[in-house]
Amino acid sequence: MEDIIIKYLLNAIFSAIPAVGFAMVFNVPSSALKFCALGGAIAYTTRYALMDFNIPIELATFLASTLVGVVALYWSRKYIIPRPVYTIASIIPLLPGTYAFTAIINLIQMDVQGVSPELITVFIDNGLKAVIILSGIGFGLALPSLFFMRYNRPII
Amino acid sequence: MSKALSYEEQTKITRAIIKAAVLMLEFGAESKLIEDIAKRLGTALGVSSVEVSLIPSAIVLTTLSNKQTQSVTTTRRAHHKPINMSIVCDVQKMCIEVEKNKKNVDFVFQTIKNIRPNHYNKWLVVFMVGLSCACFAYLYGSDINGFIITFLAASVGMYIRQVLARKKFVLIISFISTAFVATLIASLSETFNLSTTPNIVMSASVILLAPGFPFVNSVLDAVKGYLSMGWGRWMQALLLSIATSIGIILAFALLNVKGW
Repeated sequence: MEDIIIKYLLNAIFSAIPAVGFAMVFNVPSSALKFCALGGAIAYTTRYALMDFNIPIELATFLASTLVGVVALYWSRKYIIPRPVYTIASIIPLLPGTYAFTAIINLIQMDVQGVSPELITVFIDNGLKAVIILSGIGFGLALPSLFFMRYNRPII
Repeated sequence: MSKALSYEEQTKITRAIIKAAVLMLEFGAESKLIEDIAKRLGTALGVSSVEVSLIPSAIVLTTLSNKQTQSVTTTRRAHHKPINMSIVCDVQKMCIEVEKNKKNVDFVFQTIKNIRPNHYNKWLVVFMVGLSCACFAYLYGSDINGFIITFLAASVGMYIRQVLARKKFVLIISFISTAFVATLIASLSETFNLSTTPNIVMSASVILLAPGFPFVNSVLDAVKGYLSMGWGRWMQALLLSIATSIGIILAFALLNVKGW
């Protein structure tokens, strides 16, 4: 039991750091940095926990980013800052960067070495994962604010 | 209803609104936010309605006033710059200030002129990005040597990206060079057998180039009804990913490494 708690804590810390690091690349105002860290930890821990319950990574990513979207909606109304400032830094640990790069590198290898079933399998596997995870993130972040759009008034 | 405006006054208001909108588009705000801010600024400054048409490289904006009988239309080209959220926040704050305290057009021009990006210390950013990529390596399951090499590779990569950005190179060129250098350093782990998990090291060191902002913005735009903006940003993000892959492949070809 203790092992699991330590594992979760470590994961939360190690996913909060990238959220802050990339928030600095995007020049997020310094007052928002701590929320980005918290958001990153929430996003990754939620996905990790869901995947522990044998939920596939795509669905887990969608649910985690929906949660981040809801939390960021609350923060943005409280501190009057556009939501992407919080959300995009927070979902950085969820991004399927490796899948996307592997897919494109495979595509080019297919051109160089000739098409083979193995290369196609790797390409489709990684490409599909990247695209579906990305749409999961996008939809998850958008849903909470779409819910408010019917009032036809600004969120903050 | 708003009071009657002369043509000159309305032109000035239109210029102020489109200035704010272009600033937001250039520094990476989502389309819904840009349109909302343009409309709110317009209402606050006294025109009766604002219509905005967005494409990825430009903004067309029309204001209507005097019971819809007088209209001013203007277009501005937007040059995409590295994403900067502090500027977007400042524009939003200015909009709320104009709404709350009934400021006039001159206040908008003055504020936009004075907006300065909030730059973090560049060495701090290099350190944090290096650490971030190292954290990714940990999350993917690398060993301690892999952690250190990733930190090194990503920090050097980020430094190069900053240098190229300061010299105002096109994003694609800076992405190719950054990916090339980061992969070269990361592949040391494989050539010298420093780490047991060279694949993770190499893939984590280029994570700093994953174009998260354009990708997420493209989905946000598309689901909120800005389809052409969504496609435009998707294309932009894809181009940057391809540039990164070219850099990685160049490094692989140089070192004769097979891949991840």
